[in-house]
Amino acid sequence: MKILVCIKQVPDMESHFRPNGSATWFDESDLAFRMNEYDEYAVEEAVRLKEQLGGEPEITVLSIGPDRVIEAIKKALAIGCDRAVHILEPEVASREPWQIASIIAAYARDKQFDLLFTGMQSQDRGSAQVGVLVAELLGIPSTTTLVGFAWADGVVTATRELEGGVKSKVRLKTPALVTCQLGLNSPRYPTLPNIMKARKKEITMLQAGELSSEKPLTGSAAFRHPEKRGSGVVLEGSVDELVEKVLVILKDKTAVLR
Amino acid sequence: MDATREIYWNVGHGVVAVMYLLTIAAVTGAAFGFKERLEIWRQGKSLDRFDRRGDRVQRMLATVFGQTRVSRVKDGGLFHSLFFWGFLTLLAGTMLIMVQADLLMPLFKVNILQGNFYRYFSLVLDVAGLVAIVMLGGLFVRRFFIKPKGLETVTDDYRIHALLFTILITGFLIEGSRMAVTELKQNPALALWSPVGYVFAQALSSLGDGALSGLHKGLWWFHLLLGLGFISVIPRTKLRHILTTSGNSFLAPFEPKGTIGTINLEDESIEQFGASKITDLTWKDLFDSDACTSCKRCQDRCPAYSTDKPLSPMKVIKTIGSVAETSPKKGLLEAVTADALWSCTTCGACQDICPANIEHVNKILEMRRNLTLMEGEFPGDEVRTATNNIEVNGNPFGMAYASRGDWAKGLPVSIMQENSDVDILYFAGCYASFDRRNRDVAANFLRICAAAGVKVGILGKEEKCCGEPVRKLGNEYLYQMVAAENIETIKGYKVKRIVTTCPHCFNTLSRDYRDLKFDVPVEHYSTFINRLIVEKRLKLKPEPFEFTYHDSCYLGRYKDIFEEPRAVLKSAGGKLTEMSRSGYDSFCCSAGGGRIFAEEKLGSRINVKRVTMASETGMPILASNCPFCLTMFEDGIKTGGFEGKLKVRDLAEIVAERIVQ
Repeated sequence: MKILVCIKQVPDMESHFRPNGSATWFDESDLAFRMNEYDEYAVEEAVRLKEQLGGEPEITVLSIGPDRVIEAIKKALAIGCDRAVHILEPEVASREPWQIASIIAAYARDKQFDLLFTGMQSQDRGSAQVGVLVAELLGIPSTTTLVGFAWADGVVTATRELEGGVKSKVRLKTPALVTCQLGLNSPRYPTLPNIMKARKKEITMLQAGELSSEKPLTGSAAFRHPEKRGSGVVLEGSVDELVEKVLVILKDKTAVLR
Repeated sequence: MDATREIYWNVGHGVVAVMYLLTIAAVTGAAFGFKERLEIWRQGKSLDRFDRRGDRVQRMLATVFGQTRVSRVKDGGLFHSLFFWGFLTLLAGTMLIMVQADLLMPLFKVNILQGNFYRYFSLVLDVAGLVAIVMLGGLFVRRFFIKPKGLETVTDDYRIHALLFTILITGFLIEGSRMAVTELKQNPALALWSPVGYVFAQALSSLGDGALSGLHKGLWWFHLLLGLGFISVIPRTKLRHILTTSGNSFLAPFEPKGTIGTINLEDESIEQFGASKITDLTWKDLFDSDACTSCKRCQDRCPAYSTDKPLSPMKVIKTIGSVAETSPKKGLLEAVTADALWSCTTCGACQDICPANIEHVNKILEMRRNLTLMEGEFPGDEVRTATNNIEVNGNPFGMAYASRGDWAKGLPVSIMQENSDVDILYFAGCYASFDRRNRDVAANFLRICAAAGVKVGILGKEEKCCGEPVRKLGNEYLYQMVAAENIETIKGYKVKRIVTTCPHCFNTLSRDYRDLKFDVPVEHYSTFINRLIVEKRLKLKPEPFEFTYHDSCYLGRYKDIFEEPRAVLKSAGGKLTEMSRSGYDSFCCSAGGGRIFAEEKLGSRINVKRVTMASETGMPILASNCPFCLTMFEDGIKTGGFEGKLKVRDLAEIVAERIVQ
């Protein structure tokens, strides 16, 4: 069995985001990067399947982006992926989901992967399109937002999370693609021997341009902080002071006391 | 009449050959017993504890003959020390008689056991025997009647008490029966030099000479066999501590306290990290189990044990011993249990008090290393999150790394990237950088420095967690990653001195980083501020206040710094009332050993227990010197219901209020 896991490296969500110079995306300076949370579930689930099958499947992890994404790739290798493909794209943020999916599909087309795992969406762009687009481009079935996954005899049984807490069960024949959601598993912490083994695993470097020259179908026009709207006020002090303050507010800002 | 006595009186010189043959047999038996123990110890990994032999011997002699460690705790310890000295004196006296009778007399025709020397010899030995009996009695009452909490009595204890008591009593009975026939009649003045023997002789004298000499001969053989029996059972019973505990005062480490082995992460041949089985530990770790006397002093002081958590440092040591003896190939971690390992705050109270120089903490850390590095385990999901946060943002809170220096805006400090012309680098640490309460402490420290004319720099967003909590949780890999980055950053500036407000950063930078080729002098702010005051660079206007003071584990026990912080607080006008547990006996706040990240789910709360101790002094202020302690005490005051009665204040806050500008 051959498995492909697609991961993205994203900024930590606690970072301070500022629009970049052209105000089309965020400025990458002073940001801490990590593996997209949903992709961690994808990696973990692929490795669990490999373990279930006694280590037979070969897992390839793929990531598109500048040099920094090597860190996310190394983590996936340390968790248990066997080999990696780094598709170099210094301006990854300028590539929209259709282009990213085209690059991945171009890479995967002739590789006969039985199963493809991706995150449900990325934490930064959040389009939730890449996984399903890759499946469409490869002409294979896919299902999204997995909170449960089982594989037996070439059939995937997936539990999907729908709106309002409703869950559905889906069966797909491989080859297939699934996108992973919070709740599917809790990713392991890589052990040191595996971190050390990961240093020796093969990482293939490819250029994004060599795989696909698809033009963007969408574009980001502007990127800015949301405008500040009215905010709540927290009053502090003794009861007497609080009464005073509330009175002032009622007098100044409302018509109740007039 | 001359003051001496006939050795081998009544039993005759004919016994000498048999006696020595039996002695050789007993010593050989003991040697074989120790050889069996040696096989057990040898299962461990190699470790050099035979360097600096002169220093080691010196330390051993002082510890053993001075009974320095065992007598630190008066309960039990005093009895033990006096018993030891008594028994040792008897052993020395017996050896002297042996030398006199079988060496000096036959070869040189010399008798040193005569005259005044003999008189004092008799007196000293009698007194020693009496002291030994009384102390043994005291230990007997303590163990079997008072039964201190946690003291475990095993079959060995009954046997050893009986054996020692019989040896001592038969010794006096032999002396008494001999004296009743000889000295009492022939030289009553000399008999008084053996006061205990004299009493026994008086009591026995009515039996008549014939019966007495028969009794004497029988007891002499009985006493000899018991004495030799004692020697032969040493390696097979608790008595082995005579050699192993003494040996441990030779084998104890010379490295600075708190030294942890730094794993070479470049060495790709290492396949096992930490300890999951006996053979992953060192031979010294296994030897330690044999050196343990189950005195339970460690257990008495363990903050985890005393708050009903599943950890007893003594039981960890004992478990290692029993696994090494019975099933060395498997099950070490299962026997010790992960819950026990994660409960440790690495406060070091166990190790500090141990009369046997056992190294508890590093064994726990080695087993934690296995859990973390080999199994990817954590004591809880909150710890996993904190660890991930350190990986990504360099702090356990998950705050953006770029905001690390934000606390210092508007304060008298420069960011090293912008201006590195400073007197000291303040390594603020995660808590001073991000935690609201501890930011105040940091700001006050900067005000103190400014008042003393000290130019301070911080690394700001270039600083990362020092790595201490994750290292103590067993994550050597992450520790070395953040340490390497900090070291590289600091080396990029010409830093003369680093000051920290966190004892954990202080320990790590000043000791652990030394293994990673970092040698900038590092100091804790308590000693630094004390020097500013002593050198009159910082002027304070003392305002009277009453307080009690908490010695943080990593400043006190680990770094022996007790006086300076007290001196600083006193020069600020403070009147100190000590807690019952202070100095080396201080009680942990609960946050060491990476526990600062972990929820305390087992047993009761350590911080509440410590805050309770502080409130028992009746003082309104609890002064601390550590961000972890401050955090835990703020919490303990709230959850323990001490609000309004007790306030915790950091040393820097108290000092900063009294600055003369």
